[in-house]
Amino acid sequence: MGIRRFAILGTVVLGTSLAAFAASAEDVTISVWSLDRDIQPAPNLINDFNKLNTGIKVEYRQIQFDDVVSEAMRAYSTGQAPDIIAVDNPEHALFSSRGAFLDLTDMIAKSSVVKAENYFPGPLASVTWEGKYYGIPKATNTIALYYNKDMFKAKGLDPNKPPQTWDELVEAARKLTDPAANVYGLTFSAKANEEGTFQFLPWAQMAGGSYDAINSDGAVKALDVWKKIIDEKLASPDTLTRSQWDSTGTFNSGNAAMAISGPWELDRMIKEAKFDWGVALLPVPEPGAERSSAMGDFNWAIFANTEHPAEAFKVLEYFVSQDNRMFKDFGQLPARSDISIPPTGEPLKDAALKVFVEQLKYAKPRGPHPAWPKISKAIQDAIQAALTGQMSSKDALDQAAEKIKAVQG
Amino acid sequence: MKRILSSVTDGKGFDVGLVVLPLAFLFVMSGLPLVYNVVMSFQEVDMFSLGSFARPFVGFRNYVDLFSQPETRPILFNTALFVVASIAGQFAIGFGLALFFWTNFPGASWLRGLFLVSWVMPGLVVGAIWNWILSGDFGVLNFLLRETGVIDGNIFWRSDPNYSLWAVIIANIWLGTSFNMILLSVGLSGIPKDLYEAAELDGANAPQRFWTITLPMMRSTIGAIIALGLIFTLQQFDLFAAITSGGPNNTSNVTQYWAWDLSFRQYDFAKGATISVIMIVFVMFASVVYVRSTRHEVRG
Repeated sequence: MGIRRFAILGTVVLGTSLAAFAASAEDVTISVWSLDRDIQPAPNLINDFNKLNTGIKVEYRQIQFDDVVSEAMRAYSTGQAPDIIAVDNPEHALFSSRGAFLDLTDMIAKSSVVKAENYFPGPLASVTWEGKYYGIPKATNTIALYYNKDMFKAKGLDPNKPPQTWDELVEAARKLTDPAANVYGLTFSAKANEEGTFQFLPWAQMAGGSYDAINSDGAVKALDVWKKIIDEKLASPDTLTRSQWDSTGTFNSGNAAMAISGPWELDRMIKEAKFDWGVALLPVPEPGAERSSAMGDFNWAIFANTEHPAEAFKVLEYFVSQDNRMFKDFGQLPARSDISIPPTGEPLKDAALKVFVEQLKYAKPRGPHPAWPKISKAIQDAIQAALTGQMSSKDALDQAAEKIKAVQG
Repeated sequence: MKRILSSVTDGKGFDVGLVVLPLAFLFVMSGLPLVYNVVMSFQEVDMFSLGSFARPFVGFRNYVDLFSQPETRPILFNTALFVVASIAGQFAIGFGLALFFWTNFPGASWLRGLFLVSWVMPGLVVGAIWNWILSGDFGVLNFLLRETGVIDGNIFWRSDPNYSLWAVIIANIWLGTSFNMILLSVGLSGIPKDLYEAAELDGANAPQRFWTITLPMMRSTIGAIIALGLIFTLQQFDLFAAITSGGPNNTSNVTQYWAWDLSFRQYDFAKGATISVIMIVFVMFASVVYVRSTRHEVRG
C-alpha cells in the first residue's frame, strides 16, 4: 500500500515537472489588455486560441473603460506594458505618434490574413499615422437615425419615408413633438464628454466642416440646427447632460419619436420597444450633400517594447481570422467591408444592420491627432455654450477653433 | 550611549520621538506627494514622461496658460459658491435636526441613527439617485414642485445653466447633513444641564438661552464641523461625475472635478497639478483661519 502510494506520488511529481519543463521550453507568453467582459470578443477568442496549443500562451486582463489610457501610459512608462492592448480609436494617435506602438506596416504587407484593403476607410485611418499602420481595427460602430414608425403614422407622416435632410428632420420633429403626451420629436446626446463630440462632428463634416475647421460656415449651420431643435423644445433640454444610452432609453419608452444613436442599442431596443421602428441614414444638409458619420469602437495595437513582436502579431492574426463571428456571437460589427454579415433571423435587427453597414462607408475617424481629448473638449464646450444660449453658434465655434489651433501648435 | 537610551525611555528623547514619528509619517504620506505635485505644476508633463522625474521646467507657464483660459474664473467662482452654499445648507439643516432630536422625545435616538443612512451611502450611488430625482422631464422633484403649484413648467435642474450647480449643491447638502447633525448632537449633549436650569431660574427665555449658552458652548464643535465641511465639500467629486459631468458648458464645473478632467481625460497632468496647487493655497488659508479662530478658546 505504502509503496503504491509512493509510486503514484512519484508519477504525479514527475509528470508535473515534465509538463512544467515542456511549458517553459516552448511557450511564449503574450499578455493582452482590453475592456471586453466575459460575453465580449477578447476573452472568448483568447480561450479559443489557447486551446489550439500553438506554443503561444495568451494571458488576458480586463481593464475599465476610464482606465485604459492611464493604465497603459503608466505601464508603458515603467516598462511593464502588455504585448497587446485594445485602445479607443480617437486615442490611438496619442500612442502611435510617440512611437509607443509597434509599426505593423511590414507585417501586414506579408500577412495572408490581415489585408489593409479589407477594412473600411474610417477605422483604417484611425490606426494610421504618417502613412504607416500602428494597429488593426478591432470592431467598429457608427450612428444613424432610429424612428418610431407608429408615431409617424399617427402624425400623418409616411413611415417608409424617414427624413432625408436637416430641414425635413426639423419639420418631422415639429410634427412629432407632443408635450401633452410627453413626447419629444427627437433625442440625441450633447453631453459634456466624448459623446457630445461623437454626435456633433458628423453634422459638421456633412456640411463641409471638420475638427480643424470647426468654425466653418457649414459647422456653424449644423450647430444652429441643433440649437433650433433645443430652443423649440423638439428635444429635451436634458440632451445636454444625458448619455446616448439614456437618451435612446426615452425613445424606447415612447417619449421620443426619433433617436440618433448606434448599433449598440439594437438588442435592448428589440426587447424594450413596444412599437414598430426603423433605422435611416443620418439626414444631410441638403439633397445630394456629402454623407458622413461618426466612427466608434476600439483598435488592437502591439506595444513597441514587446519582446515577442512576431508572436504577438500571430495572436492578432488569429483575432482577425475570427472577424466573421463578431456580429453573430458578440453583436459587434467587424471593421471590414469584405465580410458580409449573415442574417440573424430578427427582421428589425437585420433591416437596421443594413443601414448601419451602409452608414459605415461614410464613417470618419475623430482626428487622428495625438491631442484629441483636448480638441474634443473644445468642441464639447462650444456645443454647450451655444445650446444654453450663452454664446452664438459662430462665437462659440470661433472660440473652439482658437483653442484647437493652440493645441495643434 | 546609556544616557541616550535612558533619555528615550524617560525624558527629552521620548518627547522628541513623539514629535519625530508623526512628522516622518506626515512627510512621507502627505509632504512628498504635496511637493511632487507642486514641482509638477512647474514642469511640462505628458503621459510618456509621467514615469520619470527629469522633465523640462517651464516656470510659471502652466499658471499663465491656466488663467488665460476663459473657463478658469467661472470655475473658481463655482467652487467658492459650491463650498459656501453646501456648508451653509448642511450646517443649518444639521443644526436644526440636532436641536430637534435633542428634545429627546421617545424614539429620538433611533431616528437620529436612521438619518445616518445618507452618510453611509457611496457618493456614486447618491449621485445616480439624485440624477433621477433631478431629471427634467420625469424627475421626482419637478413632479412634487408642479403638484404643489410652486412651478408651472419643468425645471431642467441638470441642463439649465442657471440651476446646474444648484442641482449638485442640493444633492451635496442632503449627503452631508446627517454627518453635521451627529457631530452637533455630540456637542449639544456635552453642555451641562445645570447651566440651563440656572438661566431658567434667572428668567432667560428659550432664544436667550440658545444665544447665550448653546451657541457659545458649541463654538469649538461648530469650528471643527465647518473645517471638516470645507474638506468634505472640496473632496466632493462623485456627485459631479454622476449628475452633471461639470456641464453644461462648465456652469457646474468646480476645481476638483476640473483637475481630474484635465489630468485623466485630457492627459494634461501639469495643468491638473496646477489647479491642485491653487486648491492647496485656499485650503491652507482656510485652515489658518480655523486654527486662529479656535486658538484663544483652548487658552480660556
